[in-house]
Amino acid sequence: MTATQTDISTGEVAAEQRVTEEELARRARQKELTSRWFWRILSYVVVLAVWEFALLDIFSWLRGNPLDPKLLPGPSEVLATFGEIWGEGTMPAAFQATLTRIAVGFGLSFLIGAMVGILMQSKWFEGFFKDAVLISLSAPGLIWVLITAIIFGNRPIGPTIAIILTTFALVTVNVSEGIRALPKDLLDMAKSFKVSLYKRNRQIVIPHLAPYLFTGLRFGFSIAWKVTVLTEVFSSSEGIGFEMRISAVLFDMSEFLTWILAFFFFALFLEKVVLEAIERRYFRWRQAVVAS
Amino acid sequence: MADIKIKNLHKEFGTGDDKVVALEDVNLDISGHSFVSIVGPSGCGKSTLLNILTGIETPTSGTVDITSDGRVAAPGYVFQAARLLPWRTVTDNLLFVQEDRSSETKQRCQRYLEMVQLGDKGDKFPGELSGGMQQRVGIARAFCIEPDVLFMDEPFSHLDAITARALRRELHHMWAETKKMVVFVTHDVGEAVELSNRILVFAKGGRLTDDIGVELPFPRDPSDDEVAVAKAHVLRKFEELDLLAS
Repeated sequence: MTATQTDISTGEVAAEQRVTEEELARRARQKELTSRWFWRILSYVVVLAVWEFALLDIFSWLRGNPLDPKLLPGPSEVLATFGEIWGEGTMPAAFQATLTRIAVGFGLSFLIGAMVGILMQSKWFEGFFKDAVLISLSAPGLIWVLITAIIFGNRPIGPTIAIILTTFALVTVNVSEGIRALPKDLLDMAKSFKVSLYKRNRQIVIPHLAPYLFTGLRFGFSIAWKVTVLTEVFSSSEGIGFEMRISAVLFDMSEFLTWILAFFFFALFLEKVVLEAIERRYFRWRQAVVAS
Repeated sequence: MADIKIKNLHKEFGTGDDKVVALEDVNLDISGHSFVSIVGPSGCGKSTLLNILTGIETPTSGTVDITSDGRVAAPGYVFQAARLLPWRTVTDNLLFVQEDRSSETKQRCQRYLEMVQLGDKGDKFPGELSGGMQQRVGIARAFCIEPDVLFMDEPFSHLDAITARALRRELHHMWAETKKMVVFVTHDVGEAVELSNRILVFAKGGRLTDDIGVELPFPRDPSDDEVAVAKAHVLRKFEELDLLAS
């Protein structure tokens, strides 16, 4: 940073220079943003270029004999297949099936998880649920997927139970952490101002718990999403996972990768559009804290 | 006008060997447009007294009556930390303690925000304000419910000296203008002398040992001779207490 120069004869600060400093700061921010995007986009370009032009050769060399190009279609071919499948109209139906499963399973899981989190504020219930929560957090989702697939076959209850068992603990942990961190000083303040219980809950407890619930929702959803697709791979007759299984069985790698691509787009949309919009809408005050 | 009557107030924490007496047989009347400071060393029960007055804690025995013209008085509070809801704007923080959100109420809140010189900060979140500004919001919040009596618990102790001084001046103006009763807990004797017309000195063990009237004209400059003498007088009381304790 340069020091502000003062004109000795008039004693006035050179206005030009101050404008330049602001301008410089703005340009620096702009540059920082541009270069961040540059590196982000570059990663896509590099990965796609290697995949399109070199990956087949690399894999063939690693295998010690040539790989059938059908088993590793390039991004251009996958994109073309994507267009075809999109045109057939099966994609929205598959997404709808998968998302309905997630909504039902994770919706229930969220309720159960929150309830267990509230119950765990009592010493006895904490003892009762503690290990169950720990097991749910640490056990790989695949275990529940296999067990429910064996027991329930392709009945819709199977994925629902698998989702609940893999995700409720995430919600529980966040909820009970949130309750434990309730801002006693604010609640005391409200009480001494004789603010009603309803208003205290509505304006202190819920906004305080919201970020905890949101974290539970976010992580829980990302796991519910994976588990659901997994259950569809094993034991379903519709949904994204099912479509993946069919393409894999048919050795149609282009279609298989198309479904992965669709999956990826959707996850990105969810993260960047839906979740960030929620965050902007409801957690503006946190950004204010960060910005100041 | 508000009236506070405290009779044979006693407060203990714990039982058996862990028993701690926080307040011992306190009798006290406060009335009218007073600015009463409660001073004393740490652990003399001054915060406990305020917590009982504000209803956060209940006394072990004895009674506390806070009335205004024969009815239960409406109290307002300013805490050591501002205690603002971080997820609400400044204006919404003021409205949070109001009974309604009518345009009249909103205008009143705005008026008190202007009184603490934050008239243009209503749309900000507390996180965007400095510590001094947040404390000002806390003061405006307490005033804007137009309480009969205002309780303040070391409201300036977390602030830097210059901010604290400016806020003390604002507080004095608001007290003089609104004619409220203020009960002010502090460990800063200078602050107590500068603001109050009555100083209650508490000793360790929760005994009220001195009740000092300060009859100097306002505004009081801490560097004035008379103010300095008054401060020295109160400090001497403190020293006497220390000698007794040791």
